[in-house]
Amino acid sequence: MEKGLKLTDILVTIIIALIFGVIYKLWGPLYGVVATLGLHLEQLIYGMWFIAAVVAYLIIRKPGVALLAEVAAAQGEFIFGGEWGVATLIFGIGQGLAAELIFAAFRYKRYDMLIASLAGVAAAFASIGIDFYYGYIGDLALWNLLILFGTRIAGAILISGIFAHLLVQALEKTGVTNLVRPATKEDYQALG
Amino acid sequence: MPMDFSYKETWLHKINPSLKLLIMILLFIHLLMIHNTNILINYMIGMIVLYLFFTGHPWKRLLVISIPFLLIFLTSSTSMIFFGKGEITWAKWGLVHITEESFFRGLHLGFRGISFAVLGIVFALTTRPVYLFYSLMQQFKMKPKYAYSFMAAIRLIPLMIEEMQTLHYALQVRGVQGERGVKGFYKKIKSYSIPLLSQSIRRAYRIAVAMEAKRFSNRGNRTYFYQLGFSKFDVIFLCYLLVIIPLSYVTATHFPYFSITDVRYGS
Repeated sequence: MEKGLKLTDILVTIIIALIFGVIYKLWGPLYGVVATLGLHLEQLIYGMWFIAAVVAYLIIRKPGVALLAEVAAAQGEFIFGGEWGVATLIFGIGQGLAAELIFAAFRYKRYDMLIASLAGVAAAFASIGIDFYYGYIGDLALWNLLILFGTRIAGAILISGIFAHLLVQALEKTGVTNLVRPATKEDYQALG
Repeated sequence: MPMDFSYKETWLHKINPSLKLLIMILLFIHLLMIHNTNILINYMIGMIVLYLFFTGHPWKRLLVISIPFLLIFLTSSTSMIFFGKGEITWAKWGLVHITEESFFRGLHLGFRGISFAVLGIVFALTTRPVYLFYSLMQQFKMKPKYAYSFMAAIRLIPLMIEEMQTLHYALQVRGVQGERGVKGFYKKIKSYSIPLLSQSIRRAYRIAVAMEAKRFSNRGNRTYFYQLGFSKFDVIFLCYLLVIIPLSYVTATHFPYFSITDVRYGS
């Protein structure tokens, strides 16, 4: 057995990631339009930018997939000419690492909605951390900063937690996830 | 996406893609350390010159692409202008509190956003993804299984877009009516994303199996169809930056646009 991710895992992860990369790219202008409404309403849809890591992990369920997916999606957004340029890559690495850490903390054994939401929240924290340097958000008025925190985290739970989980659940019904997931204990029992 | 995407090759296209990416990342980090708007504006102009004159794309396309830049400027700057910390009040309506400091900080963020956007778009317009991944394998020793996965995935995107179009027609022909509200929106997303994702995963799986069947392997001593190295254009690019960056510092010191030299709060 080859160590780490196999070619199949990588290819599937990257395809999923690039689909989200296209969505990430289209999300940019939408985010911009919502942002003009003011008061950080746009932060509610920010969570979409964490979804690749969660969805890819929930589908493939292997270590390293979340980080690879988030970086690949960010790379996709970058090479399709995303509005934030290289910044996307840096955010992608941070968010992917954060989500990966959550999955690793549970030893890659849990695939439920709660873990998906936790990973989303972790990614949100990573993005907020980078934003302290990138967006000087520490210099916002405190009440405003708290709204930003709250809405971004709420958006992360809604989109990259709950929605991502529902999406993968629906995908499981198509049977396609069995192609790429590692064999489980039940599979071996079914054989015996 | 416009079907005709022809362009002239310029020296920016001929820079080693890995080097270009590395420099972009270094410039990003450097830009984060600039807190003086005067320097940033000069820097930004230097990058815009690359965008306007050296990408080799026609004017009309450049103009269309640059529309979102304005939006980037607004989204990056408005919340800081309206809600940022500051002492010297310019205006106050309810929650909105514009101060001199927050205004300039917002402006700075707007220019920063544009600088990143321009750098990113210059990279995207002048780099063929295939060359980028070949170069990453050769110069940065990226593992072939990652690089080829990326290249295969990029090739599949037009197929997916076509599939989406087919899905759209199929739903139309069957008279599927969209419901209103959040539930309807969710249903609509589901009816597109599930078939798209499942088909893509199946396709990716088949491709991976086929690649392995044809003895695609991870050994380091493979040969490459495209050989990418370094050239004089890399030197030209470096020289351009080595002129523009010090120049933006010097002109900012001698001919400043604003008197504020650090936009961070409390400095």
